[in-house]
Amino acid sequence: MPETTRHAFQEELTELESQALAGLDMVVTTLERTMEALQQQDVELALMVVQDDDRIDGRYLEVHQGILSLLARQAPVATDLRLVAALLDVIKHVERMGDQCVNIAKTIPLTGHEPPVVPELLGTLLEMGRHVAAMIEQAKRAFCTRNVELAEDLVSRDDAVNRMHREAFRIALEAGEDVDTREWAMMMLGVGRALERMGDNAVDIGEQTAFIVTGLFREFTDASRPAPVS
Amino acid sequence: MNPQEAKEMTSEPPATTRGRFGREQGAATATPVAGPQQAGHRVTVGELNAYYGEQHAIKDLSIDFEPNRVTALIGPSGCGKSTLVRCINRMHEEIPGAYATGKVMVDDTDVYDSRVDVVAVRRAVGMVFQKPNPFPTMSIYDNVAAGLRLRGAKGSHLKERVEASLRSAGLWDEVKDRLAKAGIGLSGGQQQRLCIARTLAAEPEVILMDEPCSALDPIATLKIEELIDELKTKYTIVIVTHNMQQAARVADTTAFMLSGELVEHADTEKMFTNPDDDRTEQYVTGKFG
Repeated sequence: MPETTRHAFQEELTELESQALAGLDMVVTTLERTMEALQQQDVELALMVVQDDDRIDGRYLEVHQGILSLLARQAPVATDLRLVAALLDVIKHVERMGDQCVNIAKTIPLTGHEPPVVPELLGTLLEMGRHVAAMIEQAKRAFCTRNVELAEDLVSRDDAVNRMHREAFRIALEAGEDVDTREWAMMMLGVGRALERMGDNAVDIGEQTAFIVTGLFREFTDASRPAPVS
Repeated sequence: MNPQEAKEMTSEPPATTRGRFGREQGAATATPVAGPQQAGHRVTVGELNAYYGEQHAIKDLSIDFEPNRVTALIGPSGCGKSTLVRCINRMHEEIPGAYATGKVMVDDTDVYDSRVDVVAVRRAVGMVFQKPNPFPTMSIYDNVAAGLRLRGAKGSHLKERVEASLRSAGLWDEVKDRLAKAGIGLSGGQQQRLCIARTLAAEPEVILMDEPCSALDPIATLKIEELIDELKTKYTIVIVTHNMQQAARVADTTAFMLSGELVEHADTEKMFTNPDDDRTEQYVTGKFG
């Protein structure tokens, strides 16, 4: 069989994949900064996270435009087409996860200079943040290596994040009678919700890995059915 | 195939062969060009082997072309696509030293049956070629009418048939005021549609197209592709193409051939999103070819 004549196309596709997956690295860095700002009540760092979201949005536009151009000029098919479709999905999740970090960062100045922190709740949220960052890294690794097993493993990690989210909710409900403490706890529920959604985004990226490999799209978990009560 | 023919085929298969593509057939009938209700015909190729002398061009190939569907044949140059379609209407054997074995059935009729009239086969299985080939000395009208006249059509019936064929080929409005002008004076795309009209005038059951748009510009190509989509409501269509996107646009099913063998035949969407065979994947993504 003669060798391929589509070197330029393959290089362009590989570059687009690298750009999209590097977007996940940007999200991990942003998430770590966000959680640090939350832990330290660092308003300046939180503001930096908000401003820095333009970089993630820029990456989204860059990859999105690149994919549209590739579709128009190169008409990819088969595995190439599935990769392109998956990259569109991945970069959308990158942009959304960046927005979730912004949502968390915007909460930080609202809680005041020395908020009435419930250490157990803050500790649970920080633990959720570490788990979600690890999930995003795992989603990237699974995508890079087209490892469906590693992608599917994201579901169990997401279950752990969901358990922590429920635990955070329970702690917030028992935050006591002090109004300021209860207000802070309610704001932290928004942080927990943002982190929980980011975990779901990581699972969605895992589903795209399975789609590329198998050619069939399936949700790893059915969100329309209630999760078993633990 | 009209209901009477269908009835004959059911009751007396041998007679059917003669009745359909048989040597007795030949005189023009009064039947108009097929109406919109006409069903396409199934073409079944079984264990086909085709040769050019010593060269084995098609190897034990079996494939079904379903009625009222467009099937695209894709594959690298020399893989046997054109040979396959030329076997379906027995044009392959016109090449010195070329021959074929196996079965090619149009519905229940074996086109290689010894009692079959080859001319009748080629009328029933029409072919459109890569390069438009209108009769150079004939007018637009005569290009379509020539075959009909040979079958005895004349007068108003002939005119009706010519007009209906040109309409079916999407050309009537563009040429109705210059029917006496030379067909060769039309643009490339119009010439190709004139050739399609000429094919339709013969009332085919199946239309074979061998890279029909490779010599045309994008607009003319689009018109032919739209025409193919309309024609499949009446005919079974097989199209050979090197243009992957054309196959993806026009075909209901796509068959990938390699070195004279059929590698994979499936719905076009599947072939271009998630083919089963690695060789298909490699070819459609441009890894070779």
